Amino acid sequence: MKQLMTLLVTCAAAGALVACGGSDSNSSDKSVTGPNVNGKGEGKLNMVVWEGYADPSYVKQFEQQSGCKVNAVPAGTSDEMFTKFRSGGGGQYDLASFSGDASVRAIKSGAVAPLDTSKLTNFSNLAPQLQSPGFNTENGKHYGLSFMWGANVLIYNADKIKQAPTSWNVLYAGSPYAGKITVPDNPIQIADPALQFYGQQNPYAISQQTLDQVAGKLKQQRPLVRKYWVLASDFEQLFKSGDAVVGAGWPLMTNDLKKAGVNVKEVLPKEGVTGWSDSWMLSKNAKNPVCAYKYMNYVTSPQTQAKVADVTGYSPANRKTCAVVGAQRCADLHITDNKYYATIKYWQTPVRPTNYRQWTDAWATVKG
Amino acid sequence: MKRVSRFLYAHPGGRLGLLLGPAVLWLLVFYLVALFLLLLTSLWQQDVFTSELVHKWTLDNYDKLFGGQGGLWLRIFGRTVLLAAIVTAIDVALAFPLAWFMARVAAPRWRTLLFLAVVVPLWSSILVRIFAWRTILGGSGVLNSVLIDLGILDKPSSAFLYNDNAIAITWAYVWLPFMVLPLYTALEKIPNSYLEASRDLGAGGWTTFRRVVLPLAFPGLVAGSTFVFALTMGDFVAPQLVGGGSQVLGGAIKDRFGVAADYPFGAALAMLTLVTLVAFLFLTRRSNALEAT
Repeated sequence: MKQLMTLLVTCAAAGALVACGGSDSNSSDKSVTGPNVNGKGEGKLNMVVWEGYADPSYVKQFEQQSGCKVNAVPAGTSDEMFTKFRSGGGGQYDLASFSGDASVRAIKSGAVAPLDTSKLTNFSNLAPQLQSPGFNTENGKHYGLSFMWGANVLIYNADKIKQAPTSWNVLYAGSPYAGKITVPDNPIQIADPALQFYGQQNPYAISQQTLDQVAGKLKQQRPLVRKYWVLASDFEQLFKSGDAVVGAGWPLMTNDLKKAGVNVKEVLPKEGVTGWSDSWMLSKNAKNPVCAYKYMNYVTSPQTQAKVADVTGYSPANRKTCAVVGAQRCADLHITDNKYYATIKYWQTPVRPTNYRQWTDAWATVKG
Repeated sequence: MKRVSRFLYAHPGGRLGLLLGPAVLWLLVFYLVALFLLLLTSLWQQDVFTSELVHKWTLDNYDKLFGGQGGLWLRIFGRTVLLAAIVTAIDVALAFPLAWFMARVAAPRWRTLLFLAVVVPLWSSILVRIFAWRTILGGSGVLNSVLIDLGILDKPSSAFLYNDNAIAITWAYVWLPFMVLPLYTALEKIPNSYLEASRDLGAGGWTTFRRVVLPLAFPGLVAGSTFVFALTMGDFVAPQLVGGGSQVLGGAIKDRFGVAADYPFGAALAMLTLVTLVAFLFLTRRSNALEAT
């Protein structure tokens, strides 16, 4: 028995060493050199993405052109994406499509490699504010390639709600749609009421007092919520079955539900909106870097950006997309509208005065 | 070859070691070491921003577990144990008559058919079976349609889906085979002569059930309950798909690891589940139920 214990402890210690090793490789200040993107790919590409970011409508063509077989795993929240991306030492996935609340964490934790912008064919066509934004660029190093952005919108069933709601109030206490409401199961959701009802212009830097107030408001909302949605498909199912008629979601769902024949509409309520700006990021331990660069170049090309916008309803980062989609759609998607871009409060990881751990704890308390 | 067999013949210990070695090694590496690492993780801290583990000892995770956030985590624990107990009770109530019928009443041909009916669902993905309940219980689902057609409801009720009722119903369904099979095995082994003897001695149906059948079926009952209880304590899929958002222990653990990336606290929650299940097993062991099988 004693021998057994010794063995056990030794094994555990070895395991712990493996777990704690590997954070030693601080990048030296050499300029970044990417792989030869015109060369032959590795034959496959593993990604963890938001739903709609590896849609067959454009991925199939990529697979044929590049010979890279795409394996894309969807994530429901930034946290899930971050955790999946880092699981197994970070070599499991080559690419992730991080929003701003995960991209900075990915950079700080050393999970992602800087990109060689000379190998990124569409980099110079990105909207100026999306070439070196704080959420994917640090010390002049580009750790991410901006891709799509958009707002968290209020979506409602126009057959059941005749008058378009103008306020986020329809999701909170006093709503006539109690029991038919759905909101994301996501701690970052705390930023929404902070911005919309507590006047926090930077809703990702809120005090403990504001956090408590928001949690109180969300607790009152709790009995009104039919279900907290995790994946976009949950949201769509709720609207299709009539279990929900109004909720907070993404333009992707409006798009999907319309295609499925549900009469939904989306609005940007008067209190303002949060949103996201997504970047492709390459794992430091990527096994298929050539395919990863090929994919980044493919999905940021104007033609593919137009297709991604068709699938998701999000706004493309590449301004040349306007030439593909025409002036009307260009305006609808706000592709060149800097003013519109600036009105959205993009997801960030809360650090202080309250940090993200406090947010996740508050969120767990709300759900009960 | 001959030398090997001679050696093994002469050394029973070596024989045993060779036979048990791989299994013990497997248990050691994949169960015990993993559990030990889980325990270690629950005593460590974590960098909030990068979610890197910080290898400094702390009991904060257990502090939070037992008193943090107004007792939130203990409430979640309590709800889960209660749900698990309810689901186990439902499954006992459903499985006992079914197993009795299969083991002692049904003709052999029927028995095979019933057996298949119990086992076949296990061949399909659990996700599919849970999704099926979403279709049955939903606002435009089968249950609501039938109740409206019968005039019992005048508009679809939302009481069936996206709440704890839905979780309990779904769990009771997906774990039912794990209760039926051990019960069937136990009931099948009861000799007919025992029941006849009981009747000869003047015992009625209820007395025979209570004093003969139940004690003999007890090991099967305990085995089935252990399966159902343990499966329920750890599951997060059903609550996520048919629940409304109130957390259960399995879901809370999954969220700590997969969403909050708070490994130390997730590990502490997992330790709580583990201790509960070990306590449950200990109780059943105390009742001598497992030895009797």
